[in-house]
Amino acid sequence: MSDSLRLSIAERELPSGLTLLAVHNPRVRTFACAVSLDIRPGDEPEDRSGLAHLVGECLDEGTSHHDALGLAAAVERIGASMEGNARGGVVMGPAASQKEALDLLREMVLEPEFPGREVRRVQAEIVTEIRAEEDDPRSVAARRFRREIYGDHPLGRPPHGTLRSLGKLKPKDLRAFHDAWFRPAGGFVAAAGPMEPERLLDQLTKVFGRFRGKPAKHVPMADVDLAATSRDAHLPMSREQVHVFLGHIGIRRTHPDFYVLSLMDHVLGTGPGFTSRVSKKLRDEQGLCYAVSAGITASAGEEPGTFTAYIGTSPEHRQKAIDGFLTEIRRIRSEPPSPQELQDVKDYLTGSFVFGLERNTNLAAYAIRARRFGLGFDFLQRYPDVVRAITPEQVREAAERHLHPDRLVVVSAGAS
Amino acid sequence: MSERDGGIETAMLPDVEIVELENGFRALLVERGPLPVVASLLWYRIGARDEKTGETGVSHFLEHMMFKGTDRFPKGQIDLLTSKMGGSNNAFTDNDSTAYYFAMAADRWETALEIEASRMRECLLDPREFASEKNVVLEELAMGEDDPWRPLYQATESLIYQVHPYHHPVIGWRQDLERLSVQQMRDYYARHYGPNRAFLVVVGAIDKARTAARIRELFGSLPRASEREEPIREPVPVGERRACLRTPHSVTRLCIGFPTCRMGERDDYALDVIAHDLGNSKNSRLYRRLVLKEELVTEVSVMNETRQDPGAIFFLFELRDGASLARVEAIVREEIGKQIEEGVGKKDLERIRAQIRSSFLFQDEAVLDLAMKLARFEAGTPEGFRTLATVLPTYDSLTQKELREAAAKYLDFDRAAIVTAVPAAAKAPSRKGRAPARKAEGARRKRR
Repeated sequence: MSDSLRLSIAERELPSGLTLLAVHNPRVRTFACAVSLDIRPGDEPEDRSGLAHLVGECLDEGTSHHDALGLAAAVERIGASMEGNARGGVVMGPAASQKEALDLLREMVLEPEFPGREVRRVQAEIVTEIRAEEDDPRSVAARRFRREIYGDHPLGRPPHGTLRSLGKLKPKDLRAFHDAWFRPAGGFVAAAGPMEPERLLDQLTKVFGRFRGKPAKHVPMADVDLAATSRDAHLPMSREQVHVFLGHIGIRRTHPDFYVLSLMDHVLGTGPGFTSRVSKKLRDEQGLCYAVSAGITASAGEEPGTFTAYIGTSPEHRQKAIDGFLTEIRRIRSEPPSPQELQDVKDYLTGSFVFGLERNTNLAAYAIRARRFGLGFDFLQRYPDVVRAITPEQVREAAERHLHPDRLVVVSAGAS
Repeated sequence: MSERDGGIETAMLPDVEIVELENGFRALLVERGPLPVVASLLWYRIGARDEKTGETGVSHFLEHMMFKGTDRFPKGQIDLLTSKMGGSNNAFTDNDSTAYYFAMAADRWETALEIEASRMRECLLDPREFASEKNVVLEELAMGEDDPWRPLYQATESLIYQVHPYHHPVIGWRQDLERLSVQQMRDYYARHYGPNRAFLVVVGAIDKARTAARIRELFGSLPRASEREEPIREPVPVGERRACLRTPHSVTRLCIGFPTCRMGERDDYALDVIAHDLGNSKNSRLYRRLVLKEELVTEVSVMNETRQDPGAIFFLFELRDGASLARVEAIVREEIGKQIEEGVGKKDLERIRAQIRSSFLFQDEAVLDLAMKLARFEAGTPEGFRTLATVLPTYDSLTQKELREAAAKYLDFDRAAIVTAVPAAAKAPSRKGRAPARKAEGARRKRR
């Protein structure tokens, strides 16, 4: 492996349990920093669905030092951009204004005030967003699909909440959630940019060193089971296309089959261009759609993701598309991909991962992922060998273990 | 160079080697490491602007067909080779251009050049592939029709341009697409695709001399296509134009467009600053007033879309539940009036300049972004990519007077196109409003 792929990453764990990560990206004049705390889907009370998302959306609506407009102006004045999310936030900007930008990020993530008027305004905006999603058959189908798969598990709830749950949330709920869960232990702050990593760690230590608090006690989440049998639901809406989701519960990122399955995904349904089987068949040969995909690894995270096949097509092609997916799922379970087909995918994966290392935000996210999932910072050097060692029969076996064509949830929304 | 920008101006223009061939082909080469990646971008000066009535959508449809095989690279090979080389490829078509790009590992990227050279004149345009891909394009069209923003944007654009080809959607009109024959597409391809209508940008870990030699070898003998024709000019509107769309969505939306200038003209820079001051940030006039103060809309976006021929500036709004369209429009008129009268505040101007400066900086992080930046200026401005050297000084040199004059000249409601999209179920246009999932993406159509 070429030395140019050897990333220089430095790490420091603070006494609070917060881990700082610094990635060296010497060829750019910009930097990015992400805060990602240990906040889990189950931490949101069941009757407060949408709370974690609302907290993330309101982080930049006013802090102990700035009101919403003042904070936005401070960020824009230094040429940066910043946004909050349910686990912290991200700032990116010119390297020349890194120090100011990091201070603003800390202020937004750790000192939000959640002013009543702003919270109510953001709530109203999310209400509008939920209604727009209700207009969008793809979102409608996706939400129902998750619900069908996850059931009562926290991941089955719509992340934005519902009109009813959102309406009940008050600024004091946001403050309580922030107090309870925005804790340093188990969290990460990762920055990438041209600054030498040890110096960058010193700077991050100065900014985040005073972030203290006891570790939070997370609420354990139940496991999600496969559906007993296949089921099929259609939600009619007056539109041109119908959006079909088909799948079942998937795997965690730490699952030992992850890499074999990522090869399977590329053969089956997430390959680049129209090289995957489903896009070759359903788009390229049959012309059924503009958008089609199928895969299990993209959604694998700390909690199990889903195996999801998706197509947007005309209503008269709905069944043909579903049958097409089923044929390909059964095929990849019963016969190994040809050595050439697998080699093509390996060539792609071993050559393409370097593109994930160009942007600072990707580098910061990579450092967090490598630590959070125990991949090790030398993961990039090992990855090509891991991929090359996988055999066609391993792909078939993994497909047989993880794809369940007789226990699929099919949900569609749109034209009938 | 000022201290504040940390030397950004000098570095805006990378070291570019130019390769010029006798057949009119031109290539811009930028060597950049240390990551072993290369972006190759082939940009054709062909787009919806070049289409005649009856063949609308052919540029975009042809872009799809360019992946369906050539004499040398049969069907499926382009995507397969790209992926085997660890790369990705894609393409887009807009009003003025069609662009094809590859991002690849540095030790194997030259296949991209071979593919581009081959499909410049030798695309197969097989009738069976044409028929099957037509369905894909029609599905893409249907997807756009279901989108809450696209029909609104397109209706506004069609109102602004009554005779100029910008009147037509880039994807084309459904009936034209349905009727389009493979022969029409072959004629269009033969007429327009050639080295004199294209240029190439390569950025990444390349050997410039070797790359230049390879380009000469591959593209040097390709015959010219016909030169680009000037389309009919759009007359200046003599009054406001309005339309109302009834949509299946439950959210009320508003789009206001004004015809503007060409890309790279001094007024274009002024319009960028004005667009920032009016929309696109929390501190902008329209956001402060409509979202924060009056709580009438959930999202404001302003797009300064300058083009080869005079472009347009679009204002897009998504109304909140129960907000009145008339009230929103009245406030937009009022705030634009204030913009014309007051110009851009001193502090606001500094903030906007900082945002513009760093938006250019971010485009240097990835090789493909840098290639796109160079290509956009090469295609769209009279001085080509060299314009980049003067972009930031030009923004900095705009005076308050110029900003006020540009606002007054272009944001004139006697030339406005105003389109509302209201729920089909609603009786009055001011009924319920709902919010944004995605912003309109402008006129660009991507392959996927």
